[in-house]
Amino acid sequence: MAMALSAYRSLMRSARIAFQGDGPILAAAQVQIRNEFRQRASLDPSDESVPAAIQHAEQVAKVLRENVVQGKKIEEGQDRYKLRIHEHTERGDNESIKTAGSGSGGCGCR
Amino acid sequence: MFRSAVLRSASAARAALRPAVAAQRTAFAAAPRASLMPKIQSFQAVRMYSAGGALNKEEVEGRIVSLLQGFDKVNDIANIKGAAHFANDLGLDSLDTVEVVMAIEEEFSIEIPDKDADAIHSVEHAVEYILKQPDAN
Repeated sequence: MAMALSAYRSLMRSARIAFQGDGPILAAAQVQIRNEFRQRASLDPSDESVPAAIQHAEQVAKVLRENVVQGKKIEEGQDRYKLRIHEHTERGDNESIKTAGSGSGGCGCR
Repeated sequence: MFRSAVLRSASAARAALRPAVAAQRTAFAAAPRASLMPKIQSFQAVRMYSAGGALNKEEVEGRIVSLLQGFDKVNDIANIKGAAHFANDLGLDSLDTVEVVMAIEEEFSIEIPDKDADAIHSVEHAVEYILKQPDAN
């Protein structure tokens, strides 16, 4: 139960980070999170679907926090958006691209 | 030689300046105080957010109570009191409690670590915790 509560909290926090300043979307996300947890609230803690559900919740929290960014149109009529990249946003490096071509197989660019 | 001359002229200049500054200071202290007073008082009537003092218990409790009043899961608004327990008195379950604690975080602009958040089960606890946080405002 404590696990579920901590997942619930981290999911709610993630939603707040991901949809900061966007009232309707944030509210919708919170309703969705709430409903999903309520649906499973009566499950027995020993039920085998519980760990999987908690893991799912944690993964959703991670994606929301790290892989969702908000975009705001800079100017009407133009397709340019300003993205709000925040401290939690995942920033990958391109290390894997350098190694991909070496050896056999891979992308086939050699 | 040069240095001592500079020093001498500097100290002479300072001596000459001092009476003037002192006179100005006493004049400032004596005359305009009466006329300044009402202005200062009206200025303080504006609430300053920058350097507020510590939160007091009544204010914290009041803000938490009004936050709970806006929370639709509470069974009866009349039950919201300083000593109310989230689950036993207000009929909130553990998921609701998590949400209340998060709303309290937002209200006082702090982040409550999980282990502390799990320990907050009543208005009283919450007030106590907020009062212990130097960053809460």
